[in-house]
Amino acid sequence: MNDKDLLVCRCEEISDEEIREAIRQGARTITGIKRRTRAGMGLCQGRTCQRLVARILAEETGMKPEDIDPGTDRPPVKPVSFGVLGGVAND
Amino acid sequence: MTRSADVVIIGGGAIGTAVTYYLAKRNLKVIMVEKGDIAQGTSSKCDGNVLIHDKLPGYDASLAKLSQDMFPGLTKEIDYDMHWTRKGSLLLIESQQEMEVAKEFCRKQQEQGLPVRIMDQYEVHEDEPKLAKDIIGGLETQCDGSLDPMALAYGLTHGAQKLGAEILTYTSVTGIGLNSDGSVGKVITDKGEILTKNVVNAAGIWAPEIGAMVNLKIPIKPRQGQILVAERTFPVARRKVVEFGYLMAKFEGDNYQRSVPPEMVEYGIAFVFEPTHANNFLIGSSRRFVGMDITCHNGVLKALAQRAVRFFPVMKDINVIRSYAGLRPYTPDHMPIVSDSEVPGFYVAAGHEGDGIGLSLITGKLMTQIICGEQTEITIDPLRLSRFADENVSA
Repeated sequence: MNDKDLLVCRCEEISDEEIREAIRQGARTITGIKRRTRAGMGLCQGRTCQRLVARILAEETGMKPEDIDPGTDRPPVKPVSFGVLGGVAND
Repeated sequence: MTRSADVVIIGGGAIGTAVTYYLAKRNLKVIMVEKGDIAQGTSSKCDGNVLIHDKLPGYDASLAKLSQDMFPGLTKEIDYDMHWTRKGSLLLIESQQEMEVAKEFCRKQQEQGLPVRIMDQYEVHEDEPKLAKDIIGGLETQCDGSLDPMALAYGLTHGAQKLGAEILTYTSVTGIGLNSDGSVGKVITDKGEILTKNVVNAAGIWAPEIGAMVNLKIPIKPRQGQILVAERTFPVARRKVVEFGYLMAKFEGDNYQRSVPPEMVEYGIAFVFEPTHANNFLIGSSRRFVGMDITCHNGVLKALAQRAVRFFPVMKDINVIRSYAGLRPYTPDHMPIVSDSEVPGFYVAAGHEGDGIGLSLITGKLMTQIICGEQTEITIDPLRLSRFADENVSA
């Protein structure tokens, strides 16, 4: 298996090469990479791949890891059903 | 470093990138300036609707249809996957009163040559079997489509770059220099000046700030909309599904009240279901004036989820994995501004509220025709900035 094909985001099946291509297209933040590739948009919301994506971004751009914006956390903190969120779970 | 250009476009969202692309196709030297990344603002915090079903018959629907019909060609023109699909849309009808209005709405749209039709109770449930059983019918618009709004902006940028456009991201406009005769002379940014005679303000919710640089009042206000993202799941519905009652409340004003809990009205909740290319779906929509705040309000999230389960009870057990909020550039009459201005060389393409994705392409084309001094494809009178001149508007 080639390094290029290594999956970085397992939820959305985004490879190392796709992340690097997004950076070549101009992405300079984890969010910018996410919007171009879907890396981090899946069920785990980037909990698994975010650090890997940050490392690739640092490698490709020479940015310092501490200067990389970790992206925006949004509710819910963990998946919750429409029924529970809407307060209609037991109707 | 000093650059020069025929036209400078300010803003790298769906509107700015569309204007840039269509101007670049005319072999003009164009530079697009964006303070952050492409699609960093409203265009990444919205949905990907390209609709005519929510447009009033007449000019509104004609403009939307012109734009919609440009998408299939564009996706072939530009080598970038925007995930464009055209599966149609369905408006859900909850009562006889709604059905009467829907029939009239449908008739007028049909007269305009639009592919719409009424579905009766039997047909709507056969077509969308997961619908709540008490829905009495639907209004189908066969031509409606959707795409990934971020991919639209990236694709248009990619296309414009291939045509020679220069894209300056992470570059902020700090001022606009006028010549002694009052016309546009240059755009000043934090990374240098650009000499130009033409500027397009495509800054969306930030358009008033750019307008103020040349003393122009642009009556756009940010209006927040929240969206829920569902997990990847079985198909809940085949196409975009929206509640008709909300449209009715919008069109009929005080003559019609939906029978919904008060928070649905307070938060401007209208059920919108959008299946995505990633095999999940988005649930909207809400409308609130909260300044520049893009945090999600828990009450709105709850109301959105409740409204979703009302129309598709099967969603009760499907997970929400994320929510987000975006700011739509609202104008007082709900029509965008695609216009020249009293400052020679200063143009505005902004204020599309929730229609920016759908109207992006026609906006790019019209703005190109305005700047090139050509007859526009459709009259732009309802879109002129000067329509607000007599009103006491506050930007």
